[in-house]
Amino acid sequence: MRRPYLWTLLFLALAVLLSLAIGSVWIPPQDLWGILKGALLKRLPAQLETFAFIVWKIRLPRTLLIALTGAALGGSGTAYQGLFRNPLADPYLIGVASGAGLGAVIAMSIKWPYSFWGLMAIPLAAFVAALLTVLIVYALARVGNSVPTTNLILAGVAFSSFATSLTSFLMLRSTGEVRRALGWLLGGASQSGWLAVLSLLPYLILGLGILVFSGHALNLLQFGDEQAQQMGLNVSRAKSIVLLAASLATAAAVAFSGIIGFIGLIVPHILRLWWGADYRRLLPLSILGGAGALLVMDVFARVVLAPQEIPVGIVTALTGAPFFLWVLRRAKNQGYW
Amino acid sequence: MFRKLLIACLTLTLLLTACGSALPTPQPTSIPTQIPPTAAATAAAAPTTAIAPIVLTDGLGREVTLASPAQRVVSLAPSNTEILFAVGAGAQVVGRDEFSDYPEEAKSVASIGGSMGQYSLEAITALGPDLVLASGLNSPELVKSLEDLGLTVFYLPNPTTLEEMYANLLTVAQLTGHETQAVTLIESLKARVAAVDQKVAPLSSRPSVFYELDSTDPGKPYTAGPGTFVTLLIERAGGFNVGANLDSAWAPISLEQLVVYNPDMIILGDSLFGTTPESVKGRPGWQALQAVQQDRIYPFDDNLVSRPGPRLVDGLEQLAKLLHPDAFK
Repeated sequence: MRRPYLWTLLFLALAVLLSLAIGSVWIPPQDLWGILKGALLKRLPAQLETFAFIVWKIRLPRTLLIALTGAALGGSGTAYQGLFRNPLADPYLIGVASGAGLGAVIAMSIKWPYSFWGLMAIPLAAFVAALLTVLIVYALARVGNSVPTTNLILAGVAFSSFATSLTSFLMLRSTGEVRRALGWLLGGASQSGWLAVLSLLPYLILGLGILVFSGHALNLLQFGDEQAQQMGLNVSRAKSIVLLAASLATAAAVAFSGIIGFIGLIVPHILRLWWGADYRRLLPLSILGGAGALLVMDVFARVVLAPQEIPVGIVTALTGAPFFLWVLRRAKNQGYW
Repeated sequence: MFRKLLIACLTLTLLLTACGSALPTPQPTSIPTQIPPTAAATAAAAPTTAIAPIVLTDGLGREVTLASPAQRVVSLAPSNTEILFAVGAGAQVVGRDEFSDYPEEAKSVASIGGSMGQYSLEAITALGPDLVLASGLNSPELVKSLEDLGLTVFYLPNPTTLEEMYANLLTVAQLTGHETQAVTLIESLKARVAAVDQKVAPLSSRPSVFYELDSTDPGKPYTAGPGTFVTLLIERAGGFNVGANLDSAWAPISLEQLVVYNPDMIILGDSLFGTTPESVKGRPGWQALQAVQQDRIYPFDDNLVSRPGPRLVDGLEQLAKLLHPDAFK
């Protein structure tokens, strides 16, 4: 398949359309067409008003939030895999998810007033805790001026399990808020609206913006730290910048959408299989592909048990876990990496 | 090269954040409600004497205003659905959460989801409700999203006493225009509770009870602790909940601790999930409990004590019968 950008953009456009068209309330295609036409001509037939409200006020913000989340996870997944030179790395490898979970559960254990800041307390706490976790892990793994990859992974895994067990302990101790915590941890973006989209955007633009331009550095890093250094790359600085940029994007996504696993793993691998491992191309493609893939899975999450919705994290894990195993097998047999 | 890029990105971010805050916040648009003929008929039949708007403060401290009693209500919790039907507003309920299964008529009302905390905003909006009745089960975030969609949401606080439950009945009745019915209902509920009190007062025995909520791990089953209606109702029915010794409302209790407490009887709130007295007897180590030896294990409908609505009084009566079979023949 040639023309990777064309295909990925086409997939993303299709996913956006699907996400606007399909939900727990069935809107017939001709009505959907009427709504789109109505928006363009600024004139809407009265009988379509309820449907139009659903499409523009509920589905559009949700679609954007999911797309941004998928973009963050796809992009930072690719960056982490390149950085750690490990096909099994995902954006949560060094503790973003467990840190965010801990922050969120701590915030949930406090009774906040029903106000703007009371409602923002949980995503803010999750975001701050996720970033703190990455910084702590980074500081723990640092040896002098360099940050050995193995140290990072080990420190990340150890700190993650510490944070996860603390989260479980707090959930056990808390009364009543466990359902809320559980819903959040499983990843559900259905109840967010425009505020989440606008709050997420700046961090994603910063984080993913840096990643898009880190392709060359990641390509060099694939030769190993020493080689990359000889080729003129400031290795420890490049690694730090990529790590922080990817973590920033992931932390913001996690704070508003909850913990959604496996997207950061599946998307980069499929794209790498199709269009090769050049990070200059792979990074932007994973960002676009991640957005599209998560949108498609979110459509599934909305319709499988309609009118009930299942958290999208369950859908991604259900499809992602078998894929993870397949990648594991393949990496062992052929080592396409 | 990285530094330049960083500066460029930062500038862009700042710009966007500035734009973001300058953007007008999306105004809640009023939702067109197409009332089906049947609902319109019900609306016309309902008493429309109230001209003054209904203004009540909800469990989140929000002031909620209704121009007239709500005629299209979506209930987000089983307890809310039960309260709505009990005060006579059943015909005004147009949507209910997935778990609302009582009374029988509630099952034929359209479901708007609710498993795993995921409610379908689309389905709720499509019903065109003039009131969404939320409960302590629902998150403030959900209330906010519904509010942002222009819906009127009332968050019914979670009661911790029977008096607070009665107050909730009255609140729901005021919101739906059924105050007289609610007053009568509350009177009769109070009379039934008083009847139980009267029979329990002279009794000298206070059997201790282990109330089981979940026995996925029979070595440490979940039970209801202090501050729950389980504890409150068992005490009101003339007994003592051994779970009241725990320090949180819902918690696992170890079998060892249970052997020490050695309750007089075991009540199976998890009988809805298939736990039977026979399966309890078959659990390793449970023979040490006198309740198991004496066969005092009883299945129980947990919905009567876990849903804070009028059926709590049914729960009280049934618990009293189990605890003091001689006094309640």
